[in-house]
Formats: sequence, structure tokens, C-alpha cells
Amino acid sequence: MFGNRSHKITIDNELYERLEKAAQVAGHASTEEFILHILETTAPASSSADSEEEVRKRLQGLGYLE
Amino acid sequence: MSTDFITVVSGLPRSGTSLMMQMIHACGMEVVADGQRTADEDNPKGYLEFEAVKKLKEDSSWVADAGGKAVKAISMLLFDLPPTQHYRVIFMVRHMDEILASQKEMLKRRGTLNDRGPSDDDMRKFFQSHLDKVKSWLADQPNFKVLYVDYNAIMNGDDKGIRDVCEFLGPVVNIEAMTKAIDSGLYRNRKASA
Repeated sequence: MFGNRSHKITIDNELYERLEKAAQVAGHASTEEFILHILETTAPASSSADSEEEVRKRLQGLGYLE
Repeated sequence: MSTDFITVVSGLPRSGTSLMMQMIHACGMEVVADGQRTADEDNPKGYLEFEAVKKLKEDSSWVADAGGKAVKAISMLLFDLPPTQHYRVIFMVRHMDEILASQKEMLKRRGTLNDRGPSDDDMRKFFQSHLDKVKSWLADQPNFKVLYVDYNAIMNGDDKGIRDVCEFLGPVVNIEAMTKAIDSGLYRNRKASA
């Protein structure tokens, strides 16, 4: 089902090696776990920024903001 | 009339801010408005807005002269009010479904409705998140006093909100004049259960 769908992304070797080293330093069990941790902790921040931007666009459309 | 503080009528667009401005104005309180945005189908009794409010971030010099007066500033602009003044904010609260419906009508009339924009469900979440942020920020500002007023209750004949405003602003406003300014015929986009 959609809720369990997974997606693959391609990461070049150089970046992957950096992530691998960083995962070891940070004490993560695997590089994949580390990458997912970064994505999960970053996603809410960008979502919040998107939310504020949508509010701003709506207010502009209504003539309350320039 | 006390000039110690500036009365700011705020909230999301279509939450009853224009009505509250009219109610305050009906009591004889001076409002900061320039008449540039004239009455229309969305606000047949006028907006009572001041265009310079939109540019608060760039120029807030006029705020110092607004003591004892009322000005309308939507919630997102509250952050830009200079911290050197004292404010009493009347923050209008209305059922979110009604706000969204009314905004949609207004966007259609203005020709700015984006069919590919966020869904109502998404906008509801975005606005809720925005309101949470504004309320939290307001609670931390030592120079702001805030009164939350329920638009739906007022339009349904409950005068508690009006009495609260009278207590909040003092003798410059009164229940009779404020109540007379309410035109229930303009309560459109009413939620079925409201």
C-alpha cells in the first residue's frame, strides 16, 4: 500500500563515503540508518517553511500583504 | 482618551477584523485608515484599513502617532510592530471552515484563486500552525496585551465578546454602540452547525 511504499535515491560514491564515515563517528548502526535520521530531522523544518510560505501567498492573494 | 496604548485589531483575513473595526469606530474611537481599499462585495461596509500597515517592516514611523487609536493588522504583520510601543490586540477568532470558505469567495472575486494551490485541508493546517506561532509569540511580548474574541459567538447574538472588549479597552467603547454596528445579514459563509 502507499503508506509502506519505499523509494530509492542515487547517491554518488564520494558523498556516500562521507556519509559512511559520518555515520560511524555518530555511532549509527548503519549508513542507511544515519541517512534516514538526517532526512527525518530535516524534513519537518522545510515543511514548516513551506507552510509559512503558503500562508504568505494566500494573504498576498487576498490583498493583505505586498 | 488614553494614548498610552495602540489598539490593534488582528486575526486571519475574513475572521471578522473589519467588523470589529466598525464596532470600535461606531463608539467614536479614532481609527487609523486611509480609505484606499473601498467597500466591495466582500466587505460592503468597508475595510477600515491603512495601506502603510503592509510596509511595517520598511517603515513603522507612523505607529508612534497611533496612540489612543485603533488600527487593523492581520496576524502575520503583528511581528513587525515596533517594540517601543504598547499594544492592546483584539484578536478575532472564527471557525476555520468559515474563514476558508470566505477567503475562497474573496480570491475568486479578486481573480487570484489558484486552482493548483493547497487544498482546504492543507490550508487549515498551515493557518493553524501560523496561529499557534503568533499566539505563542504574543504571549512572550511584555508590551502586548491580547484579547481573543469569538466572531461566531458575536454573530450568534452572544454579547460576551463585546463586554470583554469594553473591559479590555475601557470607557472609550460601549456595548450599545458596538452592538448597533453589527449587521447579521453580513454573516455569510456560515458553517451549517454554527
